[in-house]
Amino acid sequence: MSKPVRSLQIRHVDAGSCNGCEQELTALTGRDYDMQRYGLDIVASPRHADAMLVTGPVTDTMARSVERVWQAISVPKIRIAFGDCAAGCGFSQDSYASHGGLNDPDLTIAGCPPEPGKALSLLRAWMASHDTHGMTSVEVESNSKKIG
Amino acid sequence: MTTTWKHQNQLHKDSGHELLTLTANRRGKLTSVWLDPDDHRQSFLDLDLVDGSFPSLAASLPETAWDEREIHDLFGYIPLGHPDPRPLIRTPRWPKDFLPLRSAQLSPGWLEVEPDLPALQVEGDGVTIMKVGPTHAGIIESGHFVFSIIGENVLHLDAHLFQNHRGIEALLEGKTVGEVSPLVTRICAADSVSNQTNWASAVEQLAGFIPSERLLLNRIILLEAERVLSHLNDLAQIPAGVGYQVAHQRALAMKELWQRGLQSLFGHRFLFETVHPGSAVSAPADAVSEIVHAVRRHWVPWRQVVMGHHGFTNRMRGVGTTPLDQVIRMGAQGVTSRAAGKEFDARQSIPWYGEVFEGPVIRTSGDVLARFELRLDEVEASLRIIEKAARMTYKTPFQDQPFTVPEDIDGRAVAFSESPHGLNVHDVSLSQGRVSRYHVRAATYRNWPLVAQTVAGNAVADFPLINKSFELCYSCTDR
Ligand code: SF4
Repeated sequence: MSKPVRSLQIRHVDAGSCNGCEQELTALTGRDYDMQRYGLDIVASPRHADAMLVTGPVTDTMARSVERVWQAISVPKIRIAFGDCAAGCGFSQDSYASHGGLNDPDLTIAGCPPEPGKALSLLRAWMASHDTHGMTSVEVESNSKKIG
Repeated sequence: MTTTWKHQNQLHKDSGHELLTLTANRRGKLTSVWLDPDDHRQSFLDLDLVDGSFPSLAASLPETAWDEREIHDLFGYIPLGHPDPRPLIRTPRWPKDFLPLRSAQLSPGWLEVEPDLPALQVEGDGVTIMKVGPTHAGIIESGHFVFSIIGENVLHLDAHLFQNHRGIEALLEGKTVGEVSPLVTRICAADSVSNQTNWASAVEQLAGFIPSERLLLNRIILLEAERVLSHLNDLAQIPAGVGYQVAHQRALAMKELWQRGLQSLFGHRFLFETVHPGSAVSAPADAVSEIVHAVRRHWVPWRQVVMGHHGFTNRMRGVGTTPLDQVIRMGAQGVTSRAAGKEFDARQSIPWYGEVFEGPVIRTSGDVLARFELRLDEVEASLRIIEKAARMTYKTPFQDQPFTVPEDIDGRAVAFSESPHGLNVHDVSLSQGRVSRYHVRAATYRNWPLVAQTVAGNAVADFPLINKSFELCYSCTDR
């Protein structure tokens, strides 16, 4: 029996953004978009999250932190690239300090920054078209290692 | 040479001048640029390196401490006698001989070690170390903070920033004039128009182009619209820092209203790519007044509710205080400095603001409350400036001034503006139509060291509130 994903708790990681993406993400928590109505929320710990949402081109200084946050989230889980920088088509992806975006995103929300209304509908469309068991292809064992 | 360098810089500081930039180039030269706020004159001081090093100014001019560490990290020039010569931007992952602004090749690649540097901590009985970041429990930019605390009180805060360092200055080198705007626009979403305006002014200066009054008015409208946007954001975040949700949500809603207005009038919710050399996006004056009125309808009752909430205003009073002498010593800028009584606003020193600028808004208590109230007054002033400038565009004739960038454009120009965060400076060198050096000195860069100093002596629980009252963006500091 497959059920659509009804709630997605998101851990945000800034990996070198210009803060435009952050501001639009914050707008989603405001009353005009109110993402909580749809089971979407930003959570304070990766332990509470179903998704990691990354903004920015993944700077070298943040690359390890991004992977650590990912490891700390329990399965099933997904990776979201928010904005052109994280999607690998931003302006600074070729600089020496940048890793050129998030690897293997399950969902890419393009835009510089993504328009919040559009971002919300993409998130909802993803939830409606995926089932709770198939969120990710990550093996359960890979999460057994505790990373501090 | 050494003594004159120190002496000359000190002389400018003692005369009340503002340090615009202190930076280097790959030919082994250091330059500091000072602004005299009274006659708007810029003074350039040069120093040639001796054996790859230069005498540090940081001990007597603490505002230069970060600049000198940055020069060391990116150029490899050594500041002799620097009181705190730890790396600032560089991490242990950078190969030793990699100096991005001197030899732009990253080879053999990043070293496989952790990026963290040892923090400065207090040791002793009862001292606890609390590490926060670089990732945070909310929608916040990345930064790593190491607190030394005793009980509830912060003894010392060591802020490790530059997680958002994208190497933008190196990225800009070699770009043609036409390629720069999309990059400069995205250094920081909160100060985008200010960055775009600096770039445009620098190119225009070097090309000998005099912008028309109408064009300058359009730029003023965009700069002030950005200030309203950024201040609304900060005014929404400060109440959120103490859980005052009603004020937070209503301010966010005003910000959304404003952004929709900006989108419809100027084509972008953050005004990206609205100012270019020789041009600026414009909108009809009536339409501009309309969005100003729409926001005011929500603003007036919101301000009354928030300032009438004694629990909230008391929570901000006396917390996170920055004394005026410290503000001046550290060369702090913008809201932070004016809230402590420093009477400097870069708009005074920009002749084309003319009479539309009403003069700086000042508070004297230097606490969270002062920074909050100062933003309230600045939003109202900016809305008035926008209306006034929009009305004036009717009276100024529209001259179509075709601007073509001379192919062999050459030279160095230092351009600045008052971003929502304060004095924002670009030091631009062009050679044969391409960027040979591009240095960005954001206001927040001068203010971050002050945040760390301000937090010491306050309670740990005050940190979110104090930090939000400065609301310094990381991205333009880190670049
Ligand atoms: S995608 Fe655009 S808005 Fe988002 S971080 Fe990158 S430059 Fe900024």
